[in-house]
Amino acid sequence: MVNIMDTNEEERVKVCMSYSCMEEVTLDVEAETNQRVEESDSSEDEVAPRNTVGDVPLKWYKDEEHIGYDITGKKIKKQARKDMLDSFLAGVDNSKNWRKIYDEYNDEEVELTKQETRLIRRLLKGKTPHAEVDPYTPYVDWFLWEDAKHPLSNAPEPKRRFIPSKWENKKVVELVRAIRRGDIKIDKPKEESRLYLLWGDDSRSADKAPGINYIPAPKPKLAGHEESYNPSVEYIPTKEEVDSYNQMYEEDRPKFIPRRFESLRNVPAYENAMKESFNRCLDLYLCPRSRKKRINIDPESLKPKLPSRKDLKPYPSKCYFEYKGHKNAVRSISVEPSGQWLASGSNDGTVRIWEIETGRCIRIWEVGEGVQCVAWNPMTGLTILAVAVGLDVLLLDTGLGDDEEQYKIKKLLHVEATTVANDSDHNGSLVDWLQHDKYKGIRMRFRKTITSVEWHRKGDYFSTVMPGDSRGILIHLLSKKLTQKFSFKQHGIPVATKFHPSRSYVFIATNKAVRVYDLLKQKLIRKLEPSVREVSSIAVHPSGDHVIVGSREGKLCWFDMDLSSQPYRKLECHPKDITNVAFHRSYPLFASCSEDSTSYVFHGMVYSDLNQNPLIVPLQILRGHAATNGRGVLDCTFHPRQPWLFTAGSDSVVKLYCH
Amino acid sequence: MMIDVWSCGVILYALLTSSLPFDDRNIEALSEVNSDWEPRPFDFLVDDELIRMSLEDFLLAKGISAEKILEIEYIKAVAPRKQEPPCLHDDWVSAISGANSSLIMTGSYDGFSRMWKTGGLCTHILEGHTGAITSVCMVNPKGLESSSSLCVATASKDRTLRLWKFDSEVPIGHPAKVRAYKTLKGHKSSVQSIAAHPSGAMVCSGSWDSTINLWRTNESDADGDLTSIKKRKVDNDTRESQSEGEALSSFVGHTQCVSSVVWKQEEAIYSASWDHSIRRWDVGTGKDSFNLFCGKALNCLDVGGESSALIAAGGSDSVLRIWDPRNPGSLAPVFQFSSHSSWISACKWHDQSWFHLVSASYDGKVMLWDLRTAWPVAVIDSHKDKVMCVDWWKGDSVISGGADAKLCISSEVSIS
Repeated sequence: MVNIMDTNEEERVKVCMSYSCMEEVTLDVEAETNQRVEESDSSEDEVAPRNTVGDVPLKWYKDEEHIGYDITGKKIKKQARKDMLDSFLAGVDNSKNWRKIYDEYNDEEVELTKQETRLIRRLLKGKTPHAEVDPYTPYVDWFLWEDAKHPLSNAPEPKRRFIPSKWENKKVVELVRAIRRGDIKIDKPKEESRLYLLWGDDSRSADKAPGINYIPAPKPKLAGHEESYNPSVEYIPTKEEVDSYNQMYEEDRPKFIPRRFESLRNVPAYENAMKESFNRCLDLYLCPRSRKKRINIDPESLKPKLPSRKDLKPYPSKCYFEYKGHKNAVRSISVEPSGQWLASGSNDGTVRIWEIETGRCIRIWEVGEGVQCVAWNPMTGLTILAVAVGLDVLLLDTGLGDDEEQYKIKKLLHVEATTVANDSDHNGSLVDWLQHDKYKGIRMRFRKTITSVEWHRKGDYFSTVMPGDSRGILIHLLSKKLTQKFSFKQHGIPVATKFHPSRSYVFIATNKAVRVYDLLKQKLIRKLEPSVREVSSIAVHPSGDHVIVGSREGKLCWFDMDLSSQPYRKLECHPKDITNVAFHRSYPLFASCSEDSTSYVFHGMVYSDLNQNPLIVPLQILRGHAATNGRGVLDCTFHPRQPWLFTAGSDSVVKLYCH
Repeated sequence: MMIDVWSCGVILYALLTSSLPFDDRNIEALSEVNSDWEPRPFDFLVDDELIRMSLEDFLLAKGISAEKILEIEYIKAVAPRKQEPPCLHDDWVSAISGANSSLIMTGSYDGFSRMWKTGGLCTHILEGHTGAITSVCMVNPKGLESSSSLCVATASKDRTLRLWKFDSEVPIGHPAKVRAYKTLKGHKSSVQSIAAHPSGAMVCSGSWDSTINLWRTNESDADGDLTSIKKRKVDNDTRESQSEGEALSSFVGHTQCVSSVVWKQEEAIYSASWDHSIRRWDVGTGKDSFNLFCGKALNCLDVGGESSALIAAGGSDSVLRIWDPRNPGSLAPVFQFSSHSSWISACKWHDQSWFHLVSASYDGKVMLWDLRTAWPVAVIDSHKDKVMCVDWWKGDSVISGGADAKLCISSEVSIS
């Protein structure tokens, strides 16, 4: 209490500062006012001398008359002590008596001001002395930690950092003494055996070397007898051997050829010495001699588990039949839906029909130009063959049906002159339907080259592809001899069209993508993106939900229509262009043929369970065609009922592969 | 006696070395040594198995100890020893029948069927078909031989079967032209195969339309259906008198082309099809009583061998398979002969022998097989192109026709 009384205002301000610098200014103002009050007080007490005894126990002056000395060195007399009664009376009279405190040091009574009592009360409660001070003000960091140019402290490194530590020194001395005394024992270094294998294998010294990964460099080969200056005669190569060394590649040639010298004096300097030691140095420091951690994985275990080929029989595997007769590359083949006849079109300008079971050619049509595509009408009994030749599509009557069917075909393949006129008026430059003069049939005249003809499953509609035209896909109706444009915008060059096997969809393959259109609702249903360089062919699974697309760079993409527009599986099997792909109608088989004169047969099982992905297993590579003019197999198609594959090659042969 | 001892020595020599002691590449040089010398090759049997190698190899292969006493049976080797000059046709020879002992019948792709006598003499030409003939058969090869009248049937790719009757007497000069007395129409697609009832009253035919039809062979029968007579009357104006027949009944069951039918016993017709099955049809009920699935498209079928029960069939691969339907439960072939290198187009059992059959293949070879060995006992290589049909003739000759338009006769096959 006394101490507090003694602390003057400045000290208090210091306390305040420690709490908060924010309120420094306001407190200063307050302090000044306080000082003025103090000054006024002190002016009152100016006469009363101040004790200057210092911080000494007051009991020293207990028995003295004075309590100490003032500044001038005079004794300060003790004031006359009031007796208890007087002080009590004074207390009772004065209402401010409770504020009075006796200052033992100065031997005077001090009356506390209101402010001081408030302060004391706050201290007693454990609060800050000043009500204005907020002890919990948010902390403001005045130092900018970032982008500071100078360190926090610019003090120089202390000297202790540079002188050896005394304590460490002491500790070392202690340890040394302990070792000398024998309190600490140290293992003796192993005694190296004085004997060692002079001719031993030094490369086995890995156990000596530190670390497990260290592999010592191999030692150079020691010189043998043949490197002696005067080796035995059997080491000296004969002249033929020396000549044969010169014939060898430089790498295979022996590095050193032994020679004989009369005496050591005659031995010349070894010309390769520098080079060999240089190479040795290169070997030593360029070759990384360290143990490599390698994961040991059986490559077989990485292969997907596929069923054995034996379980997936039957599939075409061996060529039993060759249909020979064409003079030039066979471009296109097609099998009659009952599986009895095979039609083939060739670059030599002929279309031939073959009997499949005997390999006999029963019919030849000379059509003049190289045939691009042949396609049988898919209706049994309607034995009409569509042939794409140059600018024409010919609809030929093969004459293989019975009388009733022949009559129907004849009626179908009859074009009246009037309808021709109407048609040409109608769609001016599209197609002319003409009666073929030479053969019984229809000749359709187009403006551009036709590459592909595709029948609808009901055998009445068929589509043609003109790659040279921006609107190159036309759909024709045989029974009414009508032609209509395909009503959607085409993106890119059309390559092929396929009709959906059960719905009114049509698949249009352009060189970049495959689009599926609904012909009834007249809208785009899907777009399949094979992301290959150039699409060359397309085939649709008999269920209609799966599509395979062959590309010019030899990739085969399998699309699951229910899954996504990205390929379900991409098979990179052919090193060259794929020319055609085909699905079997009833067996779970599909095939691709390529310019590399091979055909691949795959097992492609499609499950009706939607959760199960199709199973694709490569089965067989069918070889046999000879590459002619840089082209290989140009077309492939399955027999409709047997697991057999027909392939047409540029070597003018059609081959039949049976199971 | 001297000769017997000598030949015994030769036999022992042949057994041990599998070559003859007096062999020579030039047969003339050999025969000059001995004027009445005639080569007669033998085959040797050990435990009912033909030895096709030297005896030492055989013992090693079979694991028989050399100290065991073997019973070796020797028989005359089955191989044709004479090639008759080929009979030339205008087109591929696709069908052949050697059921008659004096005449060979062939069918050709030019639509004509021809009758041939020994010596390459064509006696009859059967005209009428508009498509290639696929199959021929003799309706009554033995029954009417005494009356020197022959009845034959042909099947063609023009969807019809035709029946022909003619005198087997050989005309002098150019071959006689014969026209069919009955045309059988009903198949929707080309007829692939024909077979006659053993008595000759009916024929059956298999077609590409996957049906088997039964037809009557009798000429304008009393109980014949009226429609055929009516048709004949209409046709009378334009064509010559010819009756048309309709199918008596039709066996439906195959799903693909019926490529071959066989009618050896009265009540059972065997058929082979491209749908990979062999079926036996009960003629009375028209139901298939037996169905054998073999996994390959079949081209030819014959029934014969031991008690006429073994089925031999070949098809779209190079293996000739033989099944024994009497084995219950097992459908695996009992014999497989795989020396051919292409499709097998025809196979025929020998009439008398239980062991011998002949097969023809598109690789141009005709092979004679003995059930007692896995190798062919003889290979006839006289065709230049595909062999399409083969048959036995007179029990000791093999006749075959092929895509080189030739009928080849290999005679003097001694089958005891």
